[in-house]
Amino acid sequence: MVDMPAPNPQRIVLPPHRERARRPRIVRLREWVKRNLFHSRMGTLLTVVTAAVGALLLYGIIYFVFVDANWRVITDNRWLLFAGGYPMDQEWRLWFSVSFVFLLIGMTYGTWASLGRRDHVFIVLVSGFAILLLAHGGAALWSTLWYLIAIGLLYVGYAITIRMPREAGPRRTLQQRIVTGLLIAALPIVLIVLLAFGGARPRELDGFVLNLVLAPVGIAGGLVLAIPLALGRASRMKAISWTCTTYIEVVRGAPLLGWLFVALFILDDVIGGELIVRAMVVLAVFTAAYMAEYIRGALQALPHGQGEAAHAIGLSQLQSTQLIVMPQALRISIPPMVGQAISIWKDTTLVTVILPLRELKGNADSAIAQFEFTPDRIEAYVFVAVVFWVVAFIMSRISQRVEGSLGIGER
Amino acid sequence: MAVAAGSAPPPPSNVPLLYRRGVRRLLTQGIYVAITAVVIGYIYTSLDLREFGFGFLDEPAAFKVGNQWLVDVDGVTNSRLTMYLVGVWSSLRAVMVAIALSTVLGVLIGVARLSSNWLVAQMAMLYVEIFRNTPLLVQVVLVYTVLLVGAPLIENVFNVGDFFFVSNRGMAIPWPVPDSGFWGAPEWFVWVWVAVLLLFAAAAQRVRANRQELERDTGQPHYANRWALALFAVGALVSFFALGAPVSMDLPMIVGTHYIEGMVMEPEFTALVAGLTLYTSAFIAEIVRGGIQALPKGQSEAANAVGLSGYQRLTLVILPQALRQIIPSVTNQYLNINKNSSLAYAVLYDDLFRVANIVQNKAGHALEMFFVIIVTYMLISFAISMVMNFFNARVTAQRI
Repeated sequence: MVDMPAPNPQRIVLPPHRERARRPRIVRLREWVKRNLFHSRMGTLLTVVTAAVGALLLYGIIYFVFVDANWRVITDNRWLLFAGGYPMDQEWRLWFSVSFVFLLIGMTYGTWASLGRRDHVFIVLVSGFAILLLAHGGAALWSTLWYLIAIGLLYVGYAITIRMPREAGPRRTLQQRIVTGLLIAALPIVLIVLLAFGGARPRELDGFVLNLVLAPVGIAGGLVLAIPLALGRASRMKAISWTCTTYIEVVRGAPLLGWLFVALFILDDVIGGELIVRAMVVLAVFTAAYMAEYIRGALQALPHGQGEAAHAIGLSQLQSTQLIVMPQALRISIPPMVGQAISIWKDTTLVTVILPLRELKGNADSAIAQFEFTPDRIEAYVFVAVVFWVVAFIMSRISQRVEGSLGIGER
Repeated sequence: MAVAAGSAPPPPSNVPLLYRRGVRRLLTQGIYVAITAVVIGYIYTSLDLREFGFGFLDEPAAFKVGNQWLVDVDGVTNSRLTMYLVGVWSSLRAVMVAIALSTVLGVLIGVARLSSNWLVAQMAMLYVEIFRNTPLLVQVVLVYTVLLVGAPLIENVFNVGDFFFVSNRGMAIPWPVPDSGFWGAPEWFVWVWVAVLLLFAAAAQRVRANRQELERDTGQPHYANRWALALFAVGALVSFFALGAPVSMDLPMIVGTHYIEGMVMEPEFTALVAGLTLYTSAFIAEIVRGGIQALPKGQSEAANAVGLSGYQRLTLVILPQALRQIIPSVTNQYLNINKNSSLAYAVLYDDLFRVANIVQNKAGHALEMFFVIIVTYMLISFAISMVMNFFNARVTAQRI
């Protein structure tokens, strides 16, 4: 133990944890280290071994990133990886969409959560990463500028919404409705900006842009299909529940690659259209089956009294579902739904495997197929992994914050 | 509904026909069935079903399938169906190994995440965050690339004592094979030995149970595990030599640029299994953590109070109870491993999905091939669910 000052009779004695806080910082730090790293002989051994392994890994990573790796495979192929076959003279459409989405992210945070210090650090780190990539090649200045505008819009949206009063009231409701409406409208708006009025053709969606389009389409389409499917499966009408169950189980029975195989070889006869549209349909249909199961789980978790109470005050079946049951079920199912959304985000890479569509991983394959970059395969795939990780991490962070502010998991 | 059976009032007869519940339901379902029938009919008519049939599976394959193990087909005389089944066997192998490895790793990482050692907990969290949030495809391809680029060429193979090789053709280790032994006995003798081993295992289990009971009744130590292990080891050794050593180790060798004999783990297999293991173990770790955290704190406090060590606390008190919550979610992860094994396609490992694609390329019949694929995956999923339900029943049968 450390020498304590002689007890002062005038001094108010606090509970132990507050008492601990009174001691000097260095003493507390030493205690923390002892408690969390060296609390026993086994613990010390574990710490030493883990630290050694960790140091070795860290050294390996630093050596790879700063010494061994040739990142020119990424920087020289920046456009290929980012947008591939998207017409280069229409670049502003991409940046406009990115700015719009960033603005919305800022508004979402401002309305339902707040940005903490760790969020700012994360934004700065990701921005540094992005600018490092963008500040090369021909249009480096313009791309960097566009990116800075987008980040600026994130903070503008945040600054506007965070100042609004949080207390429940008509203004708060209006604000929530506006942001929710914008979030729902975001996907159609982005698609119109990208494709309509002289934009690209669908098949020109390529590279990272293709991932960024496929995943939201799959998620949104899946959600729209999932709600009737879940209700259908829970229905007491045998014909409906039976077909919905069959649909869900069959879709979940085969891997996504199998369904993409269907998009390539079988759906051509059924719905026709461009391959990319078929891939979107398959993604939505696939996601719907999984999401329907989560919603069904939430429906089952709801107390029976909710529906009965709605019935008792004279709501019709439709009103009860729409006003009482579904909002609560959707709220409960947010955590697994976000998990599914992240899963779909990662699964957008699969379109490269058997379809002749090139998303980020596919264009990384094209990048290393160039003669001068054949030795840099590991760099290319590490880059792809990092990019996917960043977006998935952002998705999980946003959902955690929103869950926290909606009080999900609490009663 | 909450109305007790029997007390339900008879439907009032003055309700218009269209507003009666039964009529409504019938009508809704009728409309629904009609719409479904139209949709299915549309799909049915738009498919080209003139040549529908599974006869093409019986024709000679005329393609090769790699990554064979314990089977030897050249694809010349074998039918397409045989080649597909070889692919199914390759899938099963990868899935089983990945399930075993990801369970072990997942439980370790999940427990480590709750470690009182800050550094260990942080490392485990880092592991989970990294592998859960990156696409499995990229992980598999990355491991594959590292194996191909990072391993030495087979000309300068990494060689440990002429029985363990690592090169860009994969890893080769010795493998037990049936042998005629020093009696010159036929090779099926190995199965006799296996049967004897099973007998000894059963006997050892019996001895263990008896001694455990004695220990419980008398309070004296009876060393149940040691006795059982000793019995099994002695029995195995004695019967091994009594039967004339029916098993020998097959040492790998390098001929030209290929391994022969031994057990070869090709980079494709390793990459697929490693990718599946890394990815799924991160999810299993989270499930294990959730299962442990859901237990009341009193459980581990009580284990501490009766003087159990950290390891005993985990294996005797915490994990057995947490299993109830863990098993259903982990079953889902096993089913995901099964479905995700189709990513073998990306590293050219000849699993069922890739062989099915080759067959489809050669023979067409996409619709039939898709039926075959989905039925196979469902059967494997069904088998996994059955096994896990059995475990679940055993776990939940124990009263806690």
